[in-house]
Amino acid sequence: MSEKKPQAAPAKPKSFGWIAEYVDEHSLLAASRKVRDSGYTKTDAYTPFPVHGIDEALGIKPTILPFIVLGAGFTGLFTALILQYWTNAYDYKYIISGKPFASWPANIPVAFELTILFSAFTTFLGMWALNGLPKLSNPLFNSERFDRVTNDRFFLHVDSRDKYFNRESVKDLLAGTKPESLEEVVEDSSPTALPSVIWLGLGFLFCASLVPVAVVLNMRAGNDENPRWHVFFDMDFQPKKKAQQTTTIFADARIARPQVPGTVARGSLVNEDPFYLGFDPTKQASLNAANNIRLVSAADDKAEKPADTAPDTASEKSATTDPVKADEPAKETPAANPPAPTPTPAATPAAAGGPNLPWITEFPLEVDASLIALGKTKFEIYCSVCHGYAGDGDGLVHRRAEQLQQGYWLPPTSVHDPRIQAQPIGNIFYTISNGKGKMAGYGTVLSPKERWAIVSYVRALQRSRNANIEDVPVEMRAKIEEAKKAE
Amino acid sequence: MASISINPREIDNTVELPGQRAPLITGKQTFNSVTEMVCAVAEKPQPMLWYILFGFSSLTALMFVSLIGYLILTGVGIWGNMSPVFWAWPIVNFVFWVGIGHAGTLISAILFLFRQNWRTSINRAAEAMTIFAVICAGIYPGIHVGRAWLAFWLLPYPSLNLWMWPQFRSPLLWDVFAVGTYASTSLVFWYMGMVPDIATYRDRSKTPLRRFIYGILSLGWTGSSRHWLRYEKAYTILAALCAPLVLSVHTVVSFDFAVSQLPGWHTTIFPPYFVAGAIFSGFAMVVTLLVPVRAIYKLENLITLRHLENMNKIILATGSLVGLAYATEFFIAWYSKNQYEGFTFMNRAFGPYWWAYWIMVSCNVISPQLFWFKSLRVSPIWMVVICIFVNIGMWFERFVITVTSLSRDFLPSSWGYFNPTMYDGLMFFGSFGVFMTLFLLFCRFLPIIAISEIKGIMSIEAHREAHDKARASGGSHHH
Amino acid sequence: MTTTNSSDNLKLPEAWAGKYLLCFTLGVVLIAASGLVFFVGAPSKSDGLRFGMHSYLANFIYAISFGIGAMFFVLVSFLTRAGWSASIRRLAELISMTIPWVACLFAPILLVVAFSKGSALYEWNFANVEDIKESIVQAKVGYLNGPFFVTRAVICLGIWSLIVAYYYRLSRKQDETGDVGLTLDRQKWSAVLMMIFALTVSMAAFDWIMSIDADWFSTIFGVYLFSASMFGFFALMIVSFMLLQRNGKLKDEVNIEHYHDMGKFLFGFTMFWSYIAFSQFLLYWYGNIPEETAWFRVRINDGWQYLSYGLIIVHFAIPFLGLLSRHVRRHRTGLFFFACWALVVHWLDMTFLVMPNAGPFSMGMMFGHLLGGIGMFSLFIGFLLLRASDAPLVATGDPRLHEALSYANPLL
Repeated sequence: MSEKKPQAAPAKPKSFGWIAEYVDEHSLLAASRKVRDSGYTKTDAYTPFPVHGIDEALGIKPTILPFIVLGAGFTGLFTALILQYWTNAYDYKYIISGKPFASWPANIPVAFELTILFSAFTTFLGMWALNGLPKLSNPLFNSERFDRVTNDRFFLHVDSRDKYFNRESVKDLLAGTKPESLEEVVEDSSPTALPSVIWLGLGFLFCASLVPVAVVLNMRAGNDENPRWHVFFDMDFQPKKKAQQTTTIFADARIARPQVPGTVARGSLVNEDPFYLGFDPTKQASLNAANNIRLVSAADDKAEKPADTAPDTASEKSATTDPVKADEPAKETPAANPPAPTPTPAATPAAAGGPNLPWITEFPLEVDASLIALGKTKFEIYCSVCHGYAGDGDGLVHRRAEQLQQGYWLPPTSVHDPRIQAQPIGNIFYTISNGKGKMAGYGTVLSPKERWAIVSYVRALQRSRNANIEDVPVEMRAKIEEAKKAE
Repeated sequence: MASISINPREIDNTVELPGQRAPLITGKQTFNSVTEMVCAVAEKPQPMLWYILFGFSSLTALMFVSLIGYLILTGVGIWGNMSPVFWAWPIVNFVFWVGIGHAGTLISAILFLFRQNWRTSINRAAEAMTIFAVICAGIYPGIHVGRAWLAFWLLPYPSLNLWMWPQFRSPLLWDVFAVGTYASTSLVFWYMGMVPDIATYRDRSKTPLRRFIYGILSLGWTGSSRHWLRYEKAYTILAALCAPLVLSVHTVVSFDFAVSQLPGWHTTIFPPYFVAGAIFSGFAMVVTLLVPVRAIYKLENLITLRHLENMNKIILATGSLVGLAYATEFFIAWYSKNQYEGFTFMNRAFGPYWWAYWIMVSCNVISPQLFWFKSLRVSPIWMVVICIFVNIGMWFERFVITVTSLSRDFLPSSWGYFNPTMYDGLMFFGSFGVFMTLFLLFCRFLPIIAISEIKGIMSIEAHREAHDKARASGGSHHH
Repeated sequence: MTTTNSSDNLKLPEAWAGKYLLCFTLGVVLIAASGLVFFVGAPSKSDGLRFGMHSYLANFIYAISFGIGAMFFVLVSFLTRAGWSASIRRLAELISMTIPWVACLFAPILLVVAFSKGSALYEWNFANVEDIKESIVQAKVGYLNGPFFVTRAVICLGIWSLIVAYYYRLSRKQDETGDVGLTLDRQKWSAVLMMIFALTVSMAAFDWIMSIDADWFSTIFGVYLFSASMFGFFALMIVSFMLLQRNGKLKDEVNIEHYHDMGKFLFGFTMFWSYIAFSQFLLYWYGNIPEETAWFRVRINDGWQYLSYGLIIVHFAIPFLGLLSRHVRRHRTGLFFFACWALVVHWLDMTFLVMPNAGPFSMGMMFGHLLGGIGMFSLFIGFLLLRASDAPLVATGDPRLHEALSYANPLL
């Protein structure tokens, strides 16, 4: 250790060379040059502060530390860039605030910090390593006078291992530089082994430090029936009740409460009026039995599908696997026989959106210009993004999807499709309300009146492609003729 | 108010004729007298004041630690943070303390690069202050994460349970890296600078225990020239690394705010403006600490009036820069014709938090203007008073930025008014206890002035003096 | 000052002294040629006017940025009582003294703004508020209007001219008298003037450059112009001293230690410029608000992306890596190369600030702009030569000159 032993009559300790002591840096520099010019290389000066010019006076070469640091800096930079790219753009991708996975501008701060961190620690550790420190034992510490090297004295040391070292000539050389004092230092003779009590202490600390690790590992790997220790409760224990538990608050001790008489649970209200449904529920019974079973099974997820009621197996199969495809054959059938409900196999209403129901064919409200205008407004807000302003199925979303060419995009239906043209208005209303395939239901955002208004507008759109001049009111015909001429 | 002092050690070295440099340390100092003066701080029995301060601050620190325990057991609900002001005092205190830390690195790194030799008397204490301030700062985000025992989730380590990685596109994670790098780099810089001085302590130790501990800490330093050369090179490299680092830290802290779209936060001047503010508050803290330290430990010859005056000039300059940034923000808020920006700034000055805003302006912009008067710049009492006001102002600056912007959302329905709780106040007060306890321990056990650096500067000054004398005597002494 | 130096050593080289006339001629001819390129080459008359105005402004900012940098350097030298820079400060004073003359080159733009309405340069410059395209710009006419703009510019340039003239006059007086009080006077004023400098540079950046895109705003913009100016200024200092020394002047007054320091500053401002430019970009990129990203949008489209992304390489990466080494900063040829490089990329930076607002990138437009740039630089050099022709290139009366001649850099 750095502890100093007084030089008490050593039994011929080995010489470590001579140290000469000076009171100021100028005499040290002069002496250093003299020693350097005499050809000694295993020399060093010891000073309380860095003396400028000593490198030249002693012939010390510049350090390679800057190059090591430069390498460390680049290592830090690339570590940071790779780390950020790999974690956020490769291994664990998720979108945040619309930024790309590999967001280089956002990676620069961390890249900068790690460059500095690596460089700084390399500078710090590299400097000590190059200096051979920590080295707590040093023969120079044997000299009593050497204590002042960290205060106000300057020392010049000529090492006994120098190949020109000669005890007497070095002494004469140094004496010639007029030092404050001159003495021979000897190798440290104190024992180098650590006392056994320190080993014992370290061993004990090491074993003790294993205990918490062992406990944690045991708890992570073990299969104890008892719950884990809860050092922190996190949210494992909360003052709340779960289903099926009991309580003392209510007389029946049940935590799950039955419905209060005379109330309707949210979302359970079913209105029987065709105005809200698009079909007449009272006529539902007239549909064939198989379809009724189907409707019941739709309400009950677990019901098996009766296989014998499906003449068209393709549609049957697709109904269960791909609801979007499933509605296509189902659609064709009503197109063939418009208002009359037919005994076609239909998918479940929720899945295919094209059930066979007693559709109404007359508007349950008065259709006038204002209703169609309302329909136009709502159509352009809600429907046109996919179906297009003219209902051709070429809205912005569709065009964007085409551009992306992702392959699994199913184009929105055109309202001018003969199949849709043949659909009863109740069916269209139903589709708008409950959605179909990828299309979401708009029943929650549009009032029934608005939905009927859209139906009326869809009908108007369909009519616009198949109209002749007689369909136009007489007073408006002249205007059309004019427009035609202008073209 | 006058700089006339009855203290015989108080020699005015603030006047300097161009061409003749005033001495950096006063009195006829030798290498030995400098060693004696600095070592006396740790070797002599501490004055009664030290024990009183230490008792008070350690009790305060204890209260802080207990409150952290209470917070962890109970939850962050004990603070006043509430919708819409979810970032309140904890982030304000975090930014406040990180900012305080900046002066230390600025003095040790940037002034070193600019060859400002006067830094040698104050850099050690300022660096220590940096470390302690960053410790205080780091506590706040740590305990603000809610489940403080999982704060290590902030680090990118391969988690076998979750298989998730932190979000590198978030400025809060940049903060983890910036503050982490800053704390660790400042620590090694500080420690490295101290090793030769700890060796001085070692070599003067009278008891085996002191000799053993200082012996370990000084790593066997001998003052070898080869060691010194690498040491100086390493010191220079570290300074060159720390200079951009210190800028980056408060820049990243400002990003926490400025990358958002919140009016009053989202503005491009934030990075340099936060850095200027940080240096401003940090220097104010250094002056506040060093004026009593030099008086208690009789270090007026080493930490001279000139050192204090220079720091006060930097406070004046950075304070004015901060004022300029306030003005620019206001001007651009008006110029942009962005109604949200415009509202935010009118709301700051005349809204419900007008009092905080005007405390900030008067403490930060107006009070440092007093340093235009030299008599105030060199008066220890006055400078401490002004510096305390500056730090009050800088705390309020962060409060104004954080709370006024958050309390006024885009939707008036989510507007609110922040009310701190008792725990907010006690914990902020408690963090001063931690800071002061650490600083007092530092004074007690470690070299508070860079002894070897001062000696190096003394050698250069002596050389220059000889040079000047030769020149004055008409000699043709020319490089 | 030591007597070993003859005063001849401190003068401009003989061959340079009369060259200012050549510079002026070249400058006027090239600027006229650039105007011709724009008017002949542009698709329409209004395009030509727009390109010409933008190009002229960018080149004007380039020329005056050296003066801005020099003014700051002189002020900060006195503020910090710097000794090391005493021997190189005179050149900075001479560069700063070009401000009053370069300021006159702003007159064409001021005249256009004052008398010819239209959006050729500033989109707010209309007589009628209703003519302004964007309503948000219409709301700014209280600040952005012809008379007020001209007033501010005149005040700003006037203040700068007064500052530099005051410092130069005292410096020249000190050459004769060696009076220490003249240094004290300049020290005394430096702090206040530094604040005025900060305010006016911000205002100039907002007015002259930022208001081209009048609905865009960035609070850091003044700092950006400041950092770019310092970068250009130190490059110009290094190049000038190198050329002077190659012509046998200032052999002893400027040594490798000064180059090393100026090299450090050039390196430092490379980093500072990058820091400011990156901060501005990152905050707007991250916020992603259309009105704020608009400025960058024009700069990463229509061919300008090569310039914008290129600046990261040529204005940051190359000078940064090049000047990182102490050996390069102390190597005359190496430092000279990077200083010349910096002068060119500083011009590209000014181009980046202004030109994309003129329209899509085209080689013809850049050709005209380059001609104008060389012309404007020639005028600037002409002013500098004219200023330097009757003054010693070192402030011989400065009481701190001996410090500048005898210091050595520490390890960095």
